[in-house]
Amino acid sequence: MSFRLNGVGLTHANGFVALKGVMLQAEKGERIALIGPSGAGKTSLLSVLGTALAPTEGLAEVLDFDQNFWLTAEVKKLRTHIGSIHQSPPIPGRQRVVTAVLAGKLGQWPAWKSLASLVYPLDIAGARAALERVDLADKLFARCDQLSGGQLQRVGIARVLYQQPELILADEPVSALDPTLALATIRLLIAEAEARGATLVASLHAVDLAIGNFSRIVGVKAGHIAFDLPASEVTVPLLHDLYASEGDELPVQAHEPHFLSQAAANEAATRAACC
Amino acid sequence: MSRIDRDPAARSRLIGALAMLVILWPLFQAAEVKPGVLFDPGNLKVIGNFLAGFLPPETGNEFLGYLAKATLETLAIATAGMALAFLIAVPMGYLASGAGREKATLNPVTRSLLTILRGIPELVWALIFVRVFGLGPAAGVLALGLTYGGMLAKVYAEILESVDAAPARALRHNGADRPLAILYGLIPQASKELASYTVYRWECAIRASVVMGFVGAGGLGQLMDQAMKMLNGGEAATILLAFMVLVFAADGFSGWLRRALDTPPANRASPFGWRSGGLGLALVVSIVASFSYLEIGLKSLLTLGPAFDSVVVEAARSIGEFVAGFFPPDLSAEWLAKVGKGIWETLAISVVGTLLAAVAGLLLALPKWRAPFSFLLNTLRSVPELVWATITALAVGLGPFAGALALALHTAGVLGRLYAEALDNAPPAPGQALRLAGAPGGFAFLYGTLPGAAPQLIAYTLYRWEMNIRMAAILGFVGAGGLGQLLYFELSLFHHAQASTVIIAMLLLSIAVDQASAWLRRAMR
Ligand SMILES: Nc1ncnc2c1ncn2[C@@H]1O[C@H](COP(=O)(O)OP(=O)(O)O)[C@@H](O)[C@H]1O
Ligand SMILES: [Mg+2]
Repeated sequence: MSFRLNGVGLTHANGFVALKGVMLQAEKGERIALIGPSGAGKTSLLSVLGTALAPTEGLAEVLDFDQNFWLTAEVKKLRTHIGSIHQSPPIPGRQRVVTAVLAGKLGQWPAWKSLASLVYPLDIAGARAALERVDLADKLFARCDQLSGGQLQRVGIARVLYQQPELILADEPVSALDPTLALATIRLLIAEAEARGATLVASLHAVDLAIGNFSRIVGVKAGHIAFDLPASEVTVPLLHDLYASEGDELPVQAHEPHFLSQAAANEAATRAACC
Repeated sequence: MSRIDRDPAARSRLIGALAMLVILWPLFQAAEVKPGVLFDPGNLKVIGNFLAGFLPPETGNEFLGYLAKATLETLAIATAGMALAFLIAVPMGYLASGAGREKATLNPVTRSLLTILRGIPELVWALIFVRVFGLGPAAGVLALGLTYGGMLAKVYAEILESVDAAPARALRHNGADRPLAILYGLIPQASKELASYTVYRWECAIRASVVMGFVGAGGLGQLMDQAMKMLNGGEAATILLAFMVLVFAADGFSGWLRRALDTPPANRASPFGWRSGGLGLALVVSIVASFSYLEIGLKSLLTLGPAFDSVVVEAARSIGEFVAGFFPPDLSAEWLAKVGKGIWETLAISVVGTLLAAVAGLLLALPKWRAPFSFLLNTLRSVPELVWATITALAVGLGPFAGALALALHTAGVLGRLYAEALDNAPPAPGQALRLAGAPGGFAFLYGTLPGAAPQLIAYTLYRWEMNIRMAAILGFVGAGGLGQLLYFELSLFHHAQASTVIIAMLLLSIAVDQASAWLRRAMR
């Protein structure tokens, strides 16, 4: 078991009910895409899984820790096993890329190593390896405020690759990237999860990206789970129902998905994945 | 480790760190930093007794009467000094500013005159004026007027240059001359900033007028100086309390005024309502009241003719002689060597004091639970450096270390407050993300939050250093080493040629530190 949400509800401080009665369970190594209109509760759900917010109802267990532990010192240990990729990369502009990547292991390193790395980065080879996988090795010693938005997002992903978590949570990780790069990045995350047997949960704005790449699709609507199906069983009427609040068009990566140059995407994907 | 896995920045970092050490080590030596002395049992006992003497504060009626009078005098000195500063600043700022000119030619003569006015600390002016006009508030008012006049003029000039120049240019093309173009084209855009800065300066003037009392320029400072000299702790405590109340009140009042400037004008023909009318009236009344309370004869300054009797001529002549005594400055090699040592010591006091303050301020800015720490920071900064110096001199003995400590105590209060604000405003997301990846709080701060706030922290610290070099130059007045001690000594002995060299050295040092700080700010961006 990787995580199990049992009747989880989340009421925000202002009284807004973002999640109610959520039942969701995942085995180790599963790859799940969360889809749904904006405001449905995808970020809220990922926040509960990432221990950023404790559920106000029900029981949440993550990697064998239940939320009763979430306020104790145990939570630090749990959190070192969770890697989060955010919509806008939370990295200070004045930091160097190498430091930003190494920061992924602050929870695992002894204090002396974290301190020393502020002066001299102690695992340059490790940071370089992670950056190579997102095709950014040449920016190893650049300052983050010299990168483009897409490059910075990939630094955030490299940090999670370096952290080597058992559970990867990605909140719209590719909405700032162009379609080709977005596909390559999603494939990279999936390959990483597969190679290390890690669980991956990603919320995605683009339906085609979700269905084309993930085996299990969870539709979220108004704070509850609308459907939870293998990708092959997700039908167009189901999707129209899910996105009813956003009009007739389904949100997709490219407006005509089949016109997307598959060759270019594949090339970028391999470039970003190997080396 | 393979070749490519070496940090290319390591070399320059190492060199930078070594250079810092090479520069800082002798500075710490020159400041005679001896932390051990602080905890010397003998000294601890002396300072313990001294501080115990602060309790209970003096509350006798007679003394409270003196205190009230001195408080009023301090307020009056600050207000009258600001009025004078304003009178100086408006024409000088007009001359110095490139605003509203066809070609942006700056006026270098006015600019350098302003640099001299600002560069010589108000306390030095006060010390000189006390010698010309005798003990009393007139010296303080003049000193404030000159230094703050210089500061206001420079900032006024810069504010006018910084607003959109197009409206003024259009007016000039239509034939308006420069004063009108500025009045109608620039002042409306800049008025809020101009007023806000003036109010802020008035608040500083209150602190400054207290400090000038230490050299005999009247007000709370003079009372404090007397109480300290007679080791009357109870009186000193009451004065200190009165002073803190005054500073907090001025802080609050100036904050309120500046917020009031933010409220949009009422929707009617005249932009002035009861509040601005009342304030304007209060302003005029308080300026007139200040001058008459201080018994500075406005009339004798303004009415010519019969007043120009032989006494006035005599006074003018003696002032002329006094001023002439400062020229030429003593440039003998022997004296220059002494002044050089004074410069080095002053630099050391300012650097060590600022660094200690930065460390202490950061530590005090970090705790989550702010209330007790804000109180501590406010207390630290409301006690002027010179007062701290009289206390630290008891703790570690006369000399530069006492000066550095005094500077550090006051500056820690100032910087701590600014740091806390900057850290509060730093983006929270990076630190939060690291905590969610299991990083301990301290490291989430070091890797996530601090880099976001660092540029501001550095800028605050360097700006403060620029102010501290001026302060370090005068801490010697109470025996805390550096150029101030030399100046105080030479002035007491009427060695004006030597004093003049020291004043020039102070001026050059403060200009040099301004340049160094600007360079460091650019380099650390
Ligand atoms: N901190 C918060 N306080 C109050 N309401 C919130 C907060 N965070 C999110 N919400 C609300 O909860 C709902 C779900 O938000 P979110 O989980 O961000 O949706 P999604 O990620 O699917 O767009 C939205 O209506 C949002 O306005
Ligand atoms: Mg969201």
